[in-house]
Amino acid sequence: MTHMIHGPHENQGESFEDKPEVPLSGIIYGDIIYWGTIIATLVVIAGSIMSFVSRRSYIDPVYLLTSVWQGKTVEDIWKDAVGDQPDGHWYLWQLSNDTGLTVAGIALGIFSVIPGIIGAAVYMFKEKQILFGGLAAIAALITIYATIA
Amino acid sequence: MPELLKRVPELTVLIVLTIAAYAIMGLFSEVSGTEVITPFAAWAIIVGSFVISLLIAIISVLGGVGGGVIFTPIMLGFTSADTLIVRSTGLVVAMFSGLVSSGPFMRNGLADIRLVFFCAIPIIVGAMAGSQFAISMAENMGETGDAIVRLTLGIVLVFIAVMFIMGGSKTEYPTPKRIDIISRKMNLKSRYWEESLNKTVEYHTTRALLGGALFFVVGFTGGFFGLGGGWAVVPVLNLVMAVPLKVSAASSGVLLAIGNAAAIWPYIVKGALIGVFAAPWMIGQVIGGILGAHILAKIKAAFVRNILIVLLFLTSIKLIARGVESLFGIDIPLV
Repeated sequence: MTHMIHGPHENQGESFEDKPEVPLSGIIYGDIIYWGTIIATLVVIAGSIMSFVSRRSYIDPVYLLTSVWQGKTVEDIWKDAVGDQPDGHWYLWQLSNDTGLTVAGIALGIFSVIPGIIGAAVYMFKEKQILFGGLAAIAALITIYATIA
Repeated sequence: MPELLKRVPELTVLIVLTIAAYAIMGLFSEVSGTEVITPFAAWAIIVGSFVISLLIAIISVLGGVGGGVIFTPIMLGFTSADTLIVRSTGLVVAMFSGLVSSGPFMRNGLADIRLVFFCAIPIIVGAMAGSQFAISMAENMGETGDAIVRLTLGIVLVFIAVMFIMGGSKTEYPTPKRIDIISRKMNLKSRYWEESLNKTVEYHTTRALLGGALFFVVGFTGGFFGLGGGWAVVPVLNLVMAVPLKVSAASSGVLLAIGNAAAIWPYIVKGALIGVFAAPWMIGQVIGGILGAHILAKIKAAFVRNILIVLLFLTSIKLIARGVESLFGIDIPLV
């Protein structure tokens, strides 16, 4: 039976404590997201370079910045540039150009949350933490729904 | 700094690549200007956004809030940019320093993974509802909707600033008087190594149901305004659920990342996330988030919080004025 003491304390009879073990599920969650975010940043950097150096941008970057600065609506920006406002995961079909690659990089960083949660859920089930593993699985399902809905 | 760069080689790689990228973009630019922005001005806007984002990330990590609470109100108050674009970029600013800090916080045991997943579901559902509501309001109410967003955000900011002022009542190691039945049944307790005390700290959270309800509200406002929700996550964990302050701050970043990850998709699929505009803000948040997490111990957080309070009050005045001007067609002479 564990005796709970709230707040800082020393283990009885010990002047030096062992650090509490960090749950593997947490480490797996954190590492997947950390490296996912760093890889995503590299993709965004590549997209940014393409937008200025490539002669054929999907949408001219200066036009986009000007439109944002002038307060154009999202609908008008897209209509004036390519004729239609996108719907769905449009950037997946535009990976070869600067505009799609940059948004895909940002989306990749955001998406890394899903494998992170799933990885943590799997290890929580392995650690016999059924309740929290179940909560993580529900969180993963809702996030997947938000991504594809 | 050199020691930090040696200890975290991926940070060095990111900094070097970012500097190289902006140099290449400046030197080998093939873009042509518009009547409003020259190619050099466009490059300067991008580099300037990166530098400001870097500073916001460091300040927000030190102040224990998401960057969205600084970015979104300032952009809505002082620029003409469309509110959907500002709010989608605000979510990027709010979440990426939290995403990148999830790794170190989980590895050193400061973020509580079980607590995170307990609070994640209400915050995700609230954030999704908030962002969907924001999109439909923009589609159906046009400029009136924009004015309402600015006005209500101004009022919310006053409330957040007051919360920061009252934040002095936070306790580092809160002791709950009683543990509610849900927290007890769920065994919502944990322990972590407190470096400053060289001791293990144990804690038992309480008021799980109230905390869950508040997280739904936090998620909704974060998703709707593009603020994130860092301003409220720490107080709810610390003051309501009796979680130690350091664990609250670390778990807050992780929770924000999960909540905002659900909230941002409706903006992305509608094309409201403009890549060239959002990219420097994202890169600044990632690099600033890693830097901020490492210099946290050396800076007085209270100083940063005071700057935030002044910033929030000033921005709220401008937002309320702009909202009233648009809604009632009157002119309020403010800078």
